[in-house]
Amino acid sequence: MKRNLFFVTLVSGLFVLISSATHASEVAEINSTAAVETHKEAPLTAFQFLQLMQTAYKELNYELLYLNNLQNQVEPKQLIHGVIEDQEIAYFRFLNGAMRESLHYSGKTSYFEQGSQAYTLQSTFNQSVFANIANFDYEQGKNSYEYIILGNGRIAGKKAIAIRMISKDKYRYSYVVWLDIETHLPLRLDTLNESNVMLEQVMVVSLQVTEDINPWLESLTSQQLPEILHLPQNSEQVSAWELDWLPTGFSVVKNDLHKLVMHENEPVSYIMINDGIVTVSIYISGKKMQSQEKPQIIKRGAMVVYTDQTNDIEVNIVGEIPVATAQRLVESVVKVKANQQ
Amino acid sequence: MKDINEKLSAIIDDELINDELIDDLLNDEECQASFYRYHLIGDVMRDEAPHQLLEIDISQQVMSRIEEQSVDTLIEPVIATDNVVDMPATKAKIYPENNVISFAKRFGQYAIAASVAGVVVVSSLMTSQPAIENNGLEVLKTVPFGGATPVSLQATQQQSQQAVKDYNERLDALLKDHQLQLQTQP
Repeated sequence: MKRNLFFVTLVSGLFVLISSATHASEVAEINSTAAVETHKEAPLTAFQFLQLMQTAYKELNYELLYLNNLQNQVEPKQLIHGVIEDQEIAYFRFLNGAMRESLHYSGKTSYFEQGSQAYTLQSTFNQSVFANIANFDYEQGKNSYEYIILGNGRIAGKKAIAIRMISKDKYRYSYVVWLDIETHLPLRLDTLNESNVMLEQVMVVSLQVTEDINPWLESLTSQQLPEILHLPQNSEQVSAWELDWLPTGFSVVKNDLHKLVMHENEPVSYIMINDGIVTVSIYISGKKMQSQEKPQIIKRGAMVVYTDQTNDIEVNIVGEIPVATAQRLVESVVKVKANQQ
Repeated sequence: MKDINEKLSAIIDDELINDELIDDLLNDEECQASFYRYHLIGDVMRDEAPHQLLEIDISQQVMSRIEEQSVDTLIEPVIATDNVVDMPATKAKIYPENNVISFAKRFGQYAIAASVAGVVVVSSLMTSQPAIENNGLEVLKTVPFGGATPVSLQATQQQSQQAVKDYNERLDALLKDHQLQLQTQP
């Protein structure tokens, strides 16, 4: 019995030796051929591409002409971006129709529009095109999205790579981001719903990257900006409501009581949530509209306005989220318990 | 066959120039296909492949599919006697038809939205004309920058015109406020 066991070990040992030896020689062969055929660096992952895109968007001097495609309506727009002393400056305008321009620089955004007085608002939040995907925390986003390289293509005359951000649940839209392979700047952004129908599209038609900042853009920095407007409507008060559920990745950014800009004098409770890609506003008030039995849903592209009335309370949700999210958010609105206030 | 393939790859690598083989290549369609494939493989490896790579040979397949489809969708296959003449004709028939279907589908979805959007713009313009007290905030009643453009309402028949107007105003106010909150996001 003992001898038998010994024999078995010996044989298996030998076998292991031989197989590892042949294996080693195979590996060596593969290595040598690989070295000959692909002396290029390993291809980048979708995640790495997205990170390169973020740096490129913030650090390069460029000019984009792009189209906003929403429900068969196309709106041409322009963005000029530059960096002065490590500060981003972004000039945006509509190319068709009335003049509408904005300038984002050093924590302020100024708005100019034909026929009305220009004004400046204080906000470090960059609203320019692609700014949301360029400022998104992709590492954290791994909880809500999967990043996959879809393939290559050509956009605005540039060789481009498509990366898909697939939502892991039904509470957010999915996106396809196209990047310029050379500069890594974003060239196209498609917003897709759960059944892969395209809701909105932003597509660059012309991209120009320059070594130095556009001199005209630079001259804007020394120009007098319109007066900063402080909104008198924002009160310090916190709303009497809270959310007992948030979609993954979202957090509450604002929670206050304020008056709507229009003729409403009664303040509404307001909660703003954000996940880095989209911002959602939740308004809670007494009944303001004629009673409706069913929730009212209005959609335009990715934007949804969801109105629900229950027990004399009206909840309005505005944001670029699927209806399912809005529905669940409405259900999650609860009154803050008195002792917590 | 394998032998020919080897010779082919030798030609591609400029290792073997043989008149006979080149004659073979010129006469044999299958050989030409392999020759093309080998070159393509090389191009891909060297990352020199043209963008049109995606279009490699699909055209043939697409054409044949179109042909199949035309028989399926158009119930007048009698015409399909002469392929060469028939192809463009059936194609022309199929394309507009497809377009119409998809367009109509979309239009059906958005028609209401689009038509009421006009109403909302008008109503918001009218309501913002009279001077409502708002502490010098007229400027903010401008068309918002960025996303939120006029919304629409699927009006049910029970709703009175006034209710619809109120609803639109309210939505407009909400959207503008949303936009403003976005603009002043910390």
